Amino acid sequence: MASPVPDRELKKGSAELMILALLEDRPRHGYEIAQLIELRSRGAIRFNVASLYPLLYRLEKRNWIRGRWVERPGQRRRRYYRLTASGKNVLSKQRAGWREFVEAINLITGIQHA
Amino acid sequence: MPDFKIDIRARLEELGLSPVREAEIVEELSQHLEEEYERALSCGASEEEARQQVLEQLNTPDLLGRELKHVERRAPAHPVTLGTEEKINIFADLWQDLRYAMRTLAKNPAFTSIAIIAIALGIGANTAIFSVVNAVLLRPPPFKNPEQLMMVWENATHLGFPKNTPSPPDFLDWQRQNTVFTGMAAMAERSFNLTGVGEPERLDGRRVSANLFDLLGVPALLGRTFVPDDDRSGAHVVLLSHSLWQRRFGSDPSVIGRPVILNGESYTVIGVMPRSVHLPAYGNWQDKLWVPIAFANEETTERGNHFLDVIARMKPGVGLKQAQAEMETIAARLAKQYPRSNTRIGATVTPLHEEIVGDIKPALLILLGAVGFVLLIACANVANLLLARAAAREKEIALRLALGASRFRLTRQFLTESVLLAFLGAGLGLLLALAGVRVLKTFVPSMILQIQAINIDGRVLLFTASIALLTGIVFGLAPAMHALDSNLNDSLKEGGRDPAVSRKGNQLRGLLVIGEVAVSFILLIGAGLLINSFLHLRNLDPGFRTDHLLTMKVDLSELKYPDGQRRSVFFDEALRHIRALPGVQSVAVAGNLPFTYNGDSASIAVEGIPDPPPDQWPDVIYRAIGPGYFSTMGIPVIRGRDFTDQDKADSKKVVVISEKTAQHYWPGQDPIGKRLKTGATTSHAPWREVIGVVKDVRQNDFIAQPKMQMYFDYRQLKDPAANALVVRTSVEPMSLATSVRDAIWDVDKDQPVADIDTMDHIVSEAIARQRFSMLLLGSFATLALGLAAVGIYGVMSYSVAQRTHEIGIRMALGARRTDVLQMTVKQGLRLVGIGMLVGLVAAFLLTRVMASLLYGISATDPITFLGISLVLLAVAILASYVPALRATKVDPIVALRAQ
Repeated sequence: MASPVPDRELKKGSAELMILALLEDRPRHGYEIAQLIELRSRGAIRFNVASLYPLLYRLEKRNWIRGRWVERPGQRRRRYYRLTASGKNVLSKQRAGWREFVEAINLITGIQHA
Repeated sequence: MPDFKIDIRARLEELGLSPVREAEIVEELSQHLEEEYERALSCGASEEEARQQVLEQLNTPDLLGRELKHVERRAPAHPVTLGTEEKINIFADLWQDLRYAMRTLAKNPAFTSIAIIAIALGIGANTAIFSVVNAVLLRPPPFKNPEQLMMVWENATHLGFPKNTPSPPDFLDWQRQNTVFTGMAAMAERSFNLTGVGEPERLDGRRVSANLFDLLGVPALLGRTFVPDDDRSGAHVVLLSHSLWQRRFGSDPSVIGRPVILNGESYTVIGVMPRSVHLPAYGNWQDKLWVPIAFANEETTERGNHFLDVIARMKPGVGLKQAQAEMETIAARLAKQYPRSNTRIGATVTPLHEEIVGDIKPALLILLGAVGFVLLIACANVANLLLARAAAREKEIALRLALGASRFRLTRQFLTESVLLAFLGAGLGLLLALAGVRVLKTFVPSMILQIQAINIDGRVLLFTASIALLTGIVFGLAPAMHALDSNLNDSLKEGGRDPAVSRKGNQLRGLLVIGEVAVSFILLIGAGLLINSFLHLRNLDPGFRTDHLLTMKVDLSELKYPDGQRRSVFFDEALRHIRALPGVQSVAVAGNLPFTYNGDSASIAVEGIPDPPPDQWPDVIYRAIGPGYFSTMGIPVIRGRDFTDQDKADSKKVVVISEKTAQHYWPGQDPIGKRLKTGATTSHAPWREVIGVVKDVRQNDFIAQPKMQMYFDYRQLKDPAANALVVRTSVEPMSLATSVRDAIWDVDKDQPVADIDTMDHIVSEAIARQRFSMLLLGSFATLALGLAAVGIYGVMSYSVAQRTHEIGIRMALGARRTDVLQMTVKQGLRLVGIGMLVGLVAAFLLTRVMASLLYGISATDPITFLGISLVLLAVAILASYVPALRATKVDPIVALRAQ
């Protein structure tokens, strides 16, 4: 599947931030995360299974997010990920860092805020 | 819907994940792919197109595997229940196991506390007894290089004395001729009357060679010990024991150089010995002071006078065998040189430690064995509890195994749990042992000198920790093995239970009960034998009436009362005073009360009978007594008469003999009027006419058969051999103690009166060691019986609970309650019966080691065996009856619905 993604490296660097941000409001399962990323980037960014889940597991190992199997009546059990306290910390730091970075890039390249 | 799981799993293979982890990832990813697939379908793709689209995601070559590799390989250890990692972090796992074990134990407080109490009882008993063994057997005597210290004896086995005390000339010859010892020292017991400071007191003491304390390597606490110069006759110096110094001299350091009056003579205190000095002694002799032995001239020539204890230190590099061989050579040489006294007299060398320990060793070892058995029973009980619980946890275990836990890992988890349990039990057991040691100290026979040294030290703690570890492994292994031996599939099925497995569990539980019963049977038999033997001892006829007898030592000073005449004046006056006291029926002069002293004995010559060869002189125990002794003691006079006031120092010399002596020398004849003398026919001793025959009395040894005896009138003896009084009372004897003592002090205020005691108490002290063994083994056996009963009860309860369904069916089909009761009790009794059979055979073989502790019964006494079997059977019936009763209460309908 050809991806209209800007750049692979950029995507990888920001992927953590996106996932953490998506989990800020409430727990979500992997498919939901992938859907939301695609939806909110208006199709510009897409994850496939082979890269999304290893990333989720990595975040989990770092104890930034925590996955848990949840069973709902009449449904298959699904693994929901929620943000941990240290994940929240990381998110706010990464968010600030990213903002600075983008602003710096803007200053240099003269690109205006959207 | 296509199955994506196979595709995902194929890409995970390389990673070697645990099955559980792999399953999780596969589940999560396949869900994702399925949703993508459905979305593709809903967007109008054909099934094949959708499938291709979805699989595309996995097809970036090895992307999933590569990405996951970074994450999953670095993963820390999985929970025990799930993990099968190759790499094992022992300490992390151990900590995890421990925490898990603690949680599991805390979840079952009833199980945990019962198990801990059982183990605590077992380990507590072991620790307490081991602390005694440690103090008495293992801790060396507090001397320098104690392993080099030996005692040297005269070997007169042919006379019945394999370890006899040598005479001074023999000792001096040994000392001069040997080359194996760095030094050799002699000791002789002697009592002293301490006067001049406060109340007069009779004290145990010893004459010792000047080199004794150097030989032992014990310096004085204060002042100095003896020097060779002190050993010359007439050096009046004395060393005080720590206890005497504390008690009579108020621990006053300035006592050194001060004079004290001993036996009417002045001695100078030159030193105080440390508290640790305990020398081997007979009976209750406890040294309070020491003086130089300074042999008198006549002592160094008389080879027939055996009274020395000899301690020697082997030269470095010399072994016991070598020392023994040389002493035998020297003894053989002396036998040639002095055939009259030394024919067939050898020499025996024994380690000093063995002599101090004495013959308490077999009893202690048997007790240690007994508590070992108690611990085994406790282990069996806990193993049983764990087995029952393992059965309940079967499903949990099967699940863990299915999820990939290794059997080794689970075994470790089980063992951690049981070892933790064992250590908790050991902790409580240690507290029990501390209390137990305190109790033990109060009734350990006083002849065990190390009584004060009994405590819980590092070695005891190490012992406790080791048996705790061993215990934990022993009772944890069986349930662990059993639990892991189950069939996974069946265990996992709802309500399913492999009948073969649970049968195996029941077999194991049954085996444990059989073992418990067998072991407690052995213990009970042991205790039963000791109790029976003790009853025999209690019922032994000492030959006199022990009740209402007050006894006391009244040692007259040789200086103040040098002859029979003056002694009789004192005693007559004292007797007159005592007789006047209310509550006194009669009173008499005695010499060496029964069971208080390894009394004097002599060989005798009998008129008209040729002297036997030198090595065949029979020994006759003699006692110096006064008129009225036989009637006061309650010793029947069979023929002739008692001594009277007409038998005086200057009247015809007379003697009263015992039945046994009469039978030996004058079988079938009337001995009255016959004559005998001490020593050989040619000796200077006077002939004495037999005036009476009395019943045999147990004199020196309460347990051994009475030996030949004779009695002299104390007034007709040169030596002050009469040293005690016996008072027959009409009231409780001890209530007269003070008034009798005051009556004696009315006659001579400086006369020490010692060891005021009742004869009943003296007799009970004489069998204190037997009582000690009996009480201890008895209580351990009771403990064992209790634990075994709990074990039987537990197994039967479990079995009843397991068979509720079956019992329900039986009752529904018409079985009566009595049938159920019978069936259940029978099941219990079958186990008990097998256990008793095994125990019977084992007890038959094992109780032989107790033979030396038994009196009057054999180690295979049928009455004891039968009685104990009945007791055990009764307890077993009771223990299986209670659960059986519960079985009869089963409501068939409820029972049938339960499954």
